[in-house]
Amino acid sequence: MRDLYKRLGITPQASDSDIATAIEACEHTALKADARTVLSVKSRREEYDALHATLCDIGLLRARLGLTHGRYWQDSVANDFSLPPDNTCSQHDELIGRVTHAVTLHNRWQRWRGPWSMAGLLAVGIMLGIALCHLLLR
Amino acid sequence: MPIARFSPFELLLLKSRNQADTAGLLLLAWVLASKGHLADADRRRLTELARDFRHGHELEPIIEIAAQQDLGAIQLAAEVMQKDCCGEQAYPFLRQVIALAVADGKLASAHHHILRFLADLLGVSPSEFAQLFAEVAGKEFANPDDPSRTGYWQAKERHRQQQEHQQQERQRSQDRHSRERHSHERYSSGQQHHQRSGTGGSQRQHRHHSTQEPPPGDRTRRALAILGLEPGASRSEIRKAYRRLAQLHHPDRFFAEGEAMVANASMRFQKIKKAYDYLMQAS
Repeated sequence: MRDLYKRLGITPQASDSDIATAIEACEHTALKADARTVLSVKSRREEYDALHATLCDIGLLRARLGLTHGRYWQDSVANDFSLPPDNTCSQHDELIGRVTHAVTLHNRWQRWRGPWSMAGLLAVGIMLGIALCHLLLR
Repeated sequence: MPIARFSPFELLLLKSRNQADTAGLLLLAWVLASKGHLADADRRRLTELARDFRHGHELEPIIEIAAQQDLGAIQLAAEVMQKDCCGEQAYPFLRQVIALAVADGKLASAHHHILRFLADLLGVSPSEFAQLFAEVAGKEFANPDDPSRTGYWQAKERHRQQQEHQQQERQRSQDRHSRERHSHERYSSGQQHHQRSGTGGSQRQHRHHSTQEPPPGDRTRRALAILGLEPGASRSEIRKAYRRLAQLHHPDRFFAEGEAMVANASMRFQKIKKAYDYLMQAS
């Protein structure tokens, strides 16, 4: 399947009038005829759009998972829906990184005896406050 | 330094007893949700499938995540699957996916592309996957249709018209049957009259026969149907269709596949040729 929107130079959210002008401006006769058949009828466009969205998702997933040269990713689908690799790293690595980070924080909290030191700090704070009150009220 | 919050699927994955099973369930739910909506029947099917999985947590959150089409979660699931079950280990999972995808009878185009993606993801080569698909679905793994071409919509329109036509035909034949029965009853009662009065029977019998004859143009229509054309096709269209079909069904093409196939093909070829000859004479 080809990405007609990309080939016509419009976005998938384009209005009907935008599509009509883009089709008129298109110089490729076969593409023009196909685009007119598919995009100018509402029910057809809806069906096309649903598949288009799925293929965009798959294109993104393939780009992120390094499958843009898979053996099943060929022809016009691969031509039109392949995305350049982006900067998002592997979700799994990211998850592992975050879990590791959380574990380190937790361990540090436990090593410094977090709950007791918190309670101690609170007690010191209260004592200081009382002392300050005494000084000021005298 | 604060950590970004864990997404619902990440939490599920951390809680899960078997990460690959959780990820597999999400991908199965994604396959179901890619049709656009999750019906109750789909949920029930997924719940049944989930009994064999060792995920050890609720299924409902997974269905919700899949219904939202959360790409981050799907990517994470795909990575876990890629890591944990690759190649032959993925066969049971792929079987389940194929069974889900063809549960409605016909494989939707979105499912075509998703199945291809999963096969690539799990490192199953096209030949192996096609074999797997044939085993599970009982038919060949064909190439997906292309809705960006005019031909797809024309074929769809034609299919719809044919179905309508068949329905009309069925309706008409039912009508005819009931009318025949009616006229038959009338005829038999007429015969009784005839026995009594002695005239008028043969005329009625004649009319009875004339209702059974096909209407004019029926043969043309049938011949056109053999060539895969609609009524009102022009001469050049007929010729084009004939050439295409003749090439497709020529007995010489089936020489390598044995005598039975050749005989079959020659029968088909004869039929096509007869239809073409008749149409060329008639028009």
